[in-house]
Amino acid sequence: MAELTTLARPYAKAAFAEALEQNALVQWSDMLSIAAQFAADDGLEKVLLHPGLTAEQQATALTDLCGDKLNQAGKNFLMILSENKRLTLLPQIVEAFEELKAAQEHAIDVTVVSAFELTDAQQETLSQALKNKLQCDVRLTGEVDQTLVGGVIIRAGDLVIDGSVRGKLAKLAEAMNS
Amino acid sequence: MQQLNPSEISEIIKKRIDNLDVTSQAQNEGTVVSVFDGIVRIHGLADVMYGEMIEFEGGVYGLALNLERDSVGAVVLGDYKNIAEGQTAKCTGRILEVPTGEAMLGRVVDALGNPIDGKGPIETTTKAPVERVAPGVISRQGVDQPLETGYKSVDSMVPVGRGQRELIIGDRQTGKSAMAIDAIINQKGTGVKCVYVAIGQKQSSIANVVRKLEEHGAMEHTIIVAAGASDPASMLYLAPYSGCAMGEYFLDKGEDALIVYDDLTKQAWAYRQISLLLKRPPGREAYPGDVFYLHSRLLERACRVNPDYVKNVSGVEGQTGSLTALPIIETQGGDVSAFVPTNVISITDGQIFLETGLFNSGIRPAMNAGVSVSRVGGAAQTKIIKKLGGGIRLALAQYRELAAFAQFASDLDDATRAQLEFGQRVTELMKQKQYAPMSTGEMGLSIFAATEGFLDDVEVNKIGDFEAALISYANSEFADLMAQINVKGDYSKDIAAGLKELVEKFKATQAW
Repeated sequence: MAELTTLARPYAKAAFAEALEQNALVQWSDMLSIAAQFAADDGLEKVLLHPGLTAEQQATALTDLCGDKLNQAGKNFLMILSENKRLTLLPQIVEAFEELKAAQEHAIDVTVVSAFELTDAQQETLSQALKNKLQCDVRLTGEVDQTLVGGVIIRAGDLVIDGSVRGKLAKLAEAMNS
Repeated sequence: MQQLNPSEISEIIKKRIDNLDVTSQAQNEGTVVSVFDGIVRIHGLADVMYGEMIEFEGGVYGLALNLERDSVGAVVLGDYKNIAEGQTAKCTGRILEVPTGEAMLGRVVDALGNPIDGKGPIETTTKAPVERVAPGVISRQGVDQPLETGYKSVDSMVPVGRGQRELIIGDRQTGKSAMAIDAIINQKGTGVKCVYVAIGQKQSSIANVVRKLEEHGAMEHTIIVAAGASDPASMLYLAPYSGCAMGEYFLDKGEDALIVYDDLTKQAWAYRQISLLLKRPPGREAYPGDVFYLHSRLLERACRVNPDYVKNVSGVEGQTGSLTALPIIETQGGDVSAFVPTNVISITDGQIFLETGLFNSGIRPAMNAGVSVSRVGGAAQTKIIKKLGGGIRLALAQYRELAAFAQFASDLDDATRAQLEFGQRVTELMKQKQYAPMSTGEMGLSIFAATEGFLDDVEVNKIGDFEAALISYANSEFADLMAQINVKGDYSKDIAAGLKELVEKFKATQAW
């Protein structure tokens, strides 16, 4: 996975620069995510990795599936990927592209896992607090996991704030056993 | 029936609960991408520091060694079988630390400082990071106190001072460990604390060392850090640094400590394994590029520090501290020009060469007096040994040269024959049994007898018996004189006269 990210980075960067120039970030994001979803499909993956098919055939298979969702630039992008045998990298490219996009928009995806459903007011307070801490726009998504017992776990990228009762209990157990 | 652990006393549990910090802190988390041969690759962990501890699920820790663009390479400290792809890995914000303190003495611990001798938990609160930068120039002081190994041959010809690094090098089965263990035994009653780091040794050998030290009452002042042959490479790599941190505790307190690394060859092997698995480019003999630094940063930490340093660090006034290192290197077929031996020879302040040939011909310790040197120990030698021992080295050097030459000569002049005979006797006298370290007085007496010509009329094969009888006679009849030498170590006309009287009386009245 780590190595795949390394391979995907230059493509994502190029696509992002192109999208920025054309002022079409959202469109590129949609195109890439659709293509990535198809590319991740088991059936199509076999086609994309088939040694008997030419690069053009593979690229066409994918662009045809995406239909009119792709513009010419998008089709060209897939063609280049295909020539370099990197079509299967699409999911990683999308990931890197979204990261770049979020950085550009000063936004960050935050997942809040809580033991019980959060009220709107609570969500608002949380996102305001996180906005102050992280210095960027926060896109909050909530999840419910009752095994937390109480409290919340906040995940923003690789930053994790564990304020759950489960985490505290684990700490207590460790302190008492050490 | 369920049994209570010693740690389950209410008072202890209460204290631990009181000390518990449950405030939630922001942590860096990553995902385990791959696990192989004790190496874990982690995606994420953007804020990880080099050498930071990483916590895996199930309470196993790792050490971040490779910080790359998209991943972090870490070695697992312990069992990696329960770590699986997709698990989370957390930054701890801590550099690896080991427990230190007086309570460690007499214990056998692993490379992380956990007790493995079944004597229960170690009651100590002090901890020290395993990696530390060695004290700088300003904090240091010259080596001028002897660290007696108890071996006549070593203390007279290659003296070791407190704060020195003296390498013990030789092939397998030449008595390297034996020499280091005798040095530890000889520190009994001197106040020197010892750390014995066993790296990559058989568990049975480690058990043997512990037993021998216990038998000779040397465990009370010794910590044993054991990373056995079956432990993961990460533990073998870390063990010397852990041991050093434990020794530095005494250095910082203004005390003297001795650390034995047995042996650094195996540590270099372990580090080579880790480096190759981390895909660092191999260099000479497949060692990574920083294998010199691996040993130099470790051995630089052995030093003598001045009272100012001690006062700054621990508040103890008017005391100098020292950490003497006896690293051991095993050579293959006597090849001292291999990579690791040359490195360590150049780092240390001298070396003791042990040779298979000498060992097999019964000269034990099998030290080659010609190539063994001590670059700083001379300044630290006890006066009496320095005065008397000077002749020994010269006699042995001349003897070796003449002995080679004399094999072809049929008849020799008297002067040459006398020199050969003297050389033979000195060689015989330098032999010493294992676990029988000698005091300064005993050593001085033996060497005095040789240099003053009292051995000339003793048969060569009787030298050992003569020496043993002489020493036991001296200890019973001339106890005052021996005590005087042991305490002060001075050499004066009075002492010379006393020794002369002793040997003459012994030869006149005793049999051997």
